[in-house]
Amino acid sequence: MSRRKTVGIVDYGVGNQASVWRALHKLDYRCRVSDDPKKLDETDILFLPGVGAFPTAMEKLHEHDLVEYLQGEAHKGKPFVGLCLGMQLLAEQSHEHGLTAGLGLIPGEVVPFPGGGWHIGWNAIEQLGDDPLFAECDGMAMYFNHSFIFDAPDEYRVYAARTEGSFPVGVRRGNLVGMQFHPEKSQAAGRALLSALVEGLCK
Amino acid sequence: MIKKRLIGVVTVKDGWAVQSFGYKRYLPLGRPEVLVQNLDRWGADEIMLQCIDRSRPDRGDVGPDFALLDRVAKLGIATPLIYAGGVRTADDARVAVNMGADRIALDAMLRDDAQEVAKVGYQLGAQAVIAALPMTATDDGAQWRDYRTGKDEPLSDAVRSMLDDGVVSEALIIDHANEGNPGAFDPRVLDAGLADHVPLIAFGGISEAACVTDLLKREQVDAVAIGNFLSYREHAVQAYKEALVGVPVRPATYHRTIYA
Repeated sequence: MSRRKTVGIVDYGVGNQASVWRALHKLDYRCRVSDDPKKLDETDILFLPGVGAFPTAMEKLHEHDLVEYLQGEAHKGKPFVGLCLGMQLLAEQSHEHGLTAGLGLIPGEVVPFPGGGWHIGWNAIEQLGDDPLFAECDGMAMYFNHSFIFDAPDEYRVYAARTEGSFPVGVRRGNLVGMQFHPEKSQAAGRALLSALVEGLCK
Repeated sequence: MIKKRLIGVVTVKDGWAVQSFGYKRYLPLGRPEVLVQNLDRWGADEIMLQCIDRSRPDRGDVGPDFALLDRVAKLGIATPLIYAGGVRTADDARVAVNMGADRIALDAMLRDDAQEVAKVGYQLGAQAVIAALPMTATDDGAQWRDYRTGKDEPLSDAVRSMLDDGVVSEALIIDHANEGNPGAFDPRVLDAGLADHVPLIAFGGISEAACVTDLLKREQVDAVAIGNFLSYREHAVQAYKEALVGVPVRPATYHRTIYA
């Protein structure tokens, strides 16, 4: 029987840590919600949630002295998942409210949603490539609520969604994964994905 | 493709979930948490928790019902949650989101403080902000109801601009007079003078699947919100969805089917 995994949820004062905690807790993972690197070190995988605007989120990460820590953990190979705005923070930079540098962990930049406006509601995700980590949830509907997207190079894209055209909604670079939607609020489909991510990345 | 949404509404007054009739008469339904949990279990696309007595002049501005939000958050629901009621500042909105709300619907603040609305949009992203607009249908188009004074007036340019400029993402158009009255939704309330590109959520007196279908087939209507009528039977959300023909909604799920 596999060991019960411990998930570190990065608490930097922006967003929905509580919802992410509850979703993972219900999946029977131990969770540590903290901005303290010592506590986050005691975990198997990091989740970086986020709701709101990119510049505010980066400012908060700096305020909490978490930027270098997160970059260091990513480079050391610790499994690391960014959700929604947390995914966008993995990028090199964002154009939301001007230009702001991101964590720079996955090449690419955050740009306005194609055609402007928003992407709100339930949409199916389609797997790009053949990474087995993402196969289980291919075609499932997830809940989106965003107005910017992470325009990552093709080789890092693992999921796309469609409105008029197709756009990336999932990225992976080694131990780093980003999901533009909210698996914690995507009912059974979201639970399946969260479980696949924790189990798949912590092997 | 992006799906149109069926939103389950839980109306709360004096801390209790109520069946509301035109926001004038109320019947108690029980604890709001139980209704929220049902909607989550039944697979609603979003849940709106609207606390209707949080910014009434006769009660004072008591602010959002954070205690209720906390109780709801502790349920660990996996359905997106819209919170409405008593949000006075961007800070109120941020706290509500930190506690588990995904989006915030604003009403009084739209009239009282446009700058604060912009601040909410800046901090949370406009996609997280909804303009709640109680409307009264008239032969001359829809009039905007101020629920604190009971007066109707044309929708203000300021609110129109907020929606036009993307300060807030969607307009929740409430047929307040027909709310809670089966089959009474008057589509004329949708004629609020908003630009064609502003996404609408229709609410108030929508009970029949045919009406839901007609509304969701309108290009501008992204979602329909239903209150009382979801409380009458088990899995009402999915029963509605089964009856919607030719409308791109998430299919009825009944627990296990999770594919789009």
